[in-house]
Amino acid sequence: MKKWLTVITVGLLTLILSACSLGADKNTYEETGVLTAWAWDPLFNVAALELAKDYYIEEDESFELEIIENGQKDIVQRLNTGLSSGTMKGMPNIVLIEDYRAQSFLQAYPDAFYDLSDYFNIDDFADYKKAPTSFDGGQFGVPFDTGVTGLYLRTDYLEEAGYTPEDLTNITWDEFIEIGKDIKEKTGKLMISINPNDPDHLRHMIQTAGVWFTEEDGRTVNISENEAVREAVRTYTALQEEGIAHINTDWSSRVAAFQSGEVVSVAVGNWMTPSIKAEESQAGKWTIVPIPRLSVDGAVNASNLGGSSFYVLNIPGKEKAAEFLASTFGSNVDLYQDFVTEIGAIGTYLPALDGEAFKKSDDFFGGQKIIADFITWMEDIPSVNYGMHTYASMDILIGEMQKYKSGKELDDALIDAQKQAEGRLSN
Amino acid sequence: MKLASNKSLIGWFFILIAVIFITLFYFYPMLQALILSFRSGMGVNLEFVGLDNYIRLFNDPVALTAIRNTFIYLIIQVPIMILLAMFFSVLLNNPNLKFKGFFRTAIFLPAVISLVAYSVIFKYLFSTDGIVNKFLLNLSVISEPIEWLMDPFWAKVLIIIAITWRWTGYNMIFYLAALQNVDKSVYEAARIDGANSFQQFFYITIPMLKPIILFTAITSTIGTLQLFDEPMNITRGGPGNETLTISQYIYNLSFEYTPDFGYAAAVSFVIVILTVIFSMIQFRLGGDRK
Repeated sequence: MKKWLTVITVGLLTLILSACSLGADKNTYEETGVLTAWAWDPLFNVAALELAKDYYIEEDESFELEIIENGQKDIVQRLNTGLSSGTMKGMPNIVLIEDYRAQSFLQAYPDAFYDLSDYFNIDDFADYKKAPTSFDGGQFGVPFDTGVTGLYLRTDYLEEAGYTPEDLTNITWDEFIEIGKDIKEKTGKLMISINPNDPDHLRHMIQTAGVWFTEEDGRTVNISENEAVREAVRTYTALQEEGIAHINTDWSSRVAAFQSGEVVSVAVGNWMTPSIKAEESQAGKWTIVPIPRLSVDGAVNASNLGGSSFYVLNIPGKEKAAEFLASTFGSNVDLYQDFVTEIGAIGTYLPALDGEAFKKSDDFFGGQKIIADFITWMEDIPSVNYGMHTYASMDILIGEMQKYKSGKELDDALIDAQKQAEGRLSN
Repeated sequence: MKLASNKSLIGWFFILIAVIFITLFYFYPMLQALILSFRSGMGVNLEFVGLDNYIRLFNDPVALTAIRNTFIYLIIQVPIMILLAMFFSVLLNNPNLKFKGFFRTAIFLPAVISLVAYSVIFKYLFSTDGIVNKFLLNLSVISEPIEWLMDPFWAKVLIIIAITWRWTGYNMIFYLAALQNVDKSVYEAARIDGANSFQQFFYITIPMLKPIILFTAITSTIGTLQLFDEPMNITRGGPGNETLTISQYIYNLSFEYTPDFGYAAAVSFVIVILTVIFSMIQFRLGGDRK
């Protein structure tokens, strides 16, 4: 009896101890020489990484990169749990982070990312990409795609209502609403599809004015005194109240709204192009004009929605990972041509933008050179520091916007939003 | 003597494993979370702030809204669900009922469906041009579609409908099991004394089920306090923060926004405290005072 007990105890203890020491402190790179990268969207970001990898293997045959595809939410969650636990075990060498969230990671985990200043030149990239990807004098992110926005228009509906795309070029959101009301009266079509629970239009509206929910330091809350935020909330609510907006509740109903021909326009980042073109029966019926601007001083008809950049974690393999990113995303002009032709991704690497691939015309959009147009607008995107609290501020604003919609004074709503944000974000 | 002490040693040994694991994976993290709730900051830059997180909590309108919403779900949904579960179990316990197995399975089935899967389906069923609105429109119950996901009131109703659908069958099983242990002669005696069905239900069934009612009330209360999947997947907490729950707010604080795990831990202790308070109240009200 005793003997058995001893055997079992020893057995269990060894099991527990061995479980604790499994894998020790080494990461995959040290063990196998394979780098890992996390990214979302297999048709876009992951595909871009694959292309870059193929290019780099020509330079360095021994190079190995494992690309793991995960949803963006999962990546954010895993990074947060991993980095806050203090061990870097299981973390990737390269990770894609959305520009809105970048500062939050860089500042919350200051030693977790590797400074890439010595590997590539950030001045080669679109100006507005610099603020989100750098922190405290260091350059941590290699900019990837642009979220440059455009107003996608159904030319056939416009014609039916007696408008031309020129009538909607370089307009304000107020003019957009007026035209929308007229078009609805004449054609019965709604102007735009929005989701008040996820009002991403607010973000690109506000950026047309070159400001954000926080001031340039990325911390000081700037909502109640911010004319652009006020205008954006007012305009966004007006879209609903004037009855020209179709309400969607998630991505699929948002896409369905334009694919089924329910709406006249889509105001969104250029990454929506593949979804628009997916409905082949609408070929030739679309065109893209610059995004409307807010009716505030200094607002321009160019903005950004989304877009992300690559980061290297401060773990063994960082030098290799940095060299890989620098010689592909950081400097390879040909690679950027492939991004355009093969996956429709528009990069922000300026020297590549003169390439042939960027000048092609697209029959789906009636022969418009859409990539060239997007690039032109990209140059005008006001540079903004997204700071660390984009999504927290958004949620506060969504809450107050709901109250404004049900009758609260706009100024009171914004003052309350400011107070909440200050209370929540001052730490 | 030798044998007895050996036996108790083995007994201790078996308990020991459970104790070690519970301590390691339950009590230790709970203690750590409590310590964490006295710290605040972004990501890894945490510093000790004492009770600041708790003070901040009571001045945070979003946290208060989340607590308020959770209470609304609790106060409305739990009683409805428990009554429904009891009602179904009494119906299904009827010895003359045909296709008993079918009905029991049908009502229990929602409980085995993945939370996320059913939430997503509910979202589609109740969307503005979804089948529920079409159905109601065609029956002329309503003249224009209900904005289930966009209206503050109807969004809450939708969440309550969803969790009631998901959990009623689960609770029903407990009642059914309890009912089958009730001696039939009690009902026979009542019938001979002239009690009608209602009297039988209120004066025999309910008192007999009292321990189970208490049990289901407490588990449902705890479940509702931790409600996460449904609002997360159906409404994302919207419109505004009108369907946000405490758990979802904790998630947002940790993963949606720049992470402040200290404050998130403080909010999670609100759930702990509320659970304890509610359980105590329910024991007081439902337990036997001896």
